[in-house]
Amino acid sequence: MDQELERVLRGLEEAAEFARTYRFEITPDYVALIERVEAMPRNQPGADKAHVWQRDRTFKAAFTNVTYLGPPR
Amino acid sequence: VNPFVPLARALAARSVRFVLIGVAGANQYALGGSDSFVTQDQDLFLPPDPDNLVRAWAACEDAGVELWLQEEPLDRPRDRWLAERIIERRALTRATGPEQFLVDLTLVMQGFDFERVWAERRVFAIEGVELPVARLLHIVESKRAAGRLKDSLFLATHKDALEQLLKRQE
Repeated sequence: MDQELERVLRGLEEAAEFARTYRFEITPDYVALIERVEAMPRNQPGADKAHVWQRDRTFKAAFTNVTYLGPPR
Repeated sequence: VNPFVPLARALAARSVRFVLIGVAGANQYALGGSDSFVTQDQDLFLPPDPDNLVRAWAACEDAGVELWLQEEPLDRPRDRWLAERIIERRALTRATGPEQFLVDLTLVMQGFDFERVWAERRVFAIEGVELPVARLLHIVESKRAAGRLKDSLFLATHKDALEQLLKRQE
């Protein structure tokens, strides 16, 4: 087998194995980040979140009419 | 008009207990586009209470969205008997509408029971309507408990997004 092809296939196998076994652990520093974000003034009860939904709709609308033009020339 | 608002209003009018969870729930805590994540749907976590589920279905009808069970329209009558069968199976009902509106009414949140999430929910607002959202910590822990690859990848990216967000705030 071509050495380059063999290298690519081995890389794909390694990626597939990584995908099967990868498990993200929640560490104390991640929990601390979350608690800081939850404590922000803009995340207190009663905060208006209309902008979150507007941002989501704008983003989706921007990509609704995207068409694939083929590979770059 | 945000298409979710009429549904949120109808749910509140019928005193439906629910919390927004999943990626859409996590996005409520984001401050900008760079710490938000794209999701196709919104997941509403409901308790295993048939009367509450019947009220949720009625609210969906009030809001003019269609209800589905798997690939079929949800059967009628949408009554307590049907709700009990759905709850037995912990099945998901889906509400769809215009503009790719897609809301899942789920009875399952991995690693959590409803009352725990409900007790610590955070009530935000959208266009004057109350929006109960699960704690960000609960959403993250649930994704960890689900353990799917896409959840692990979300968590890794989410952690990085929070780090960047807090750096910008400093």
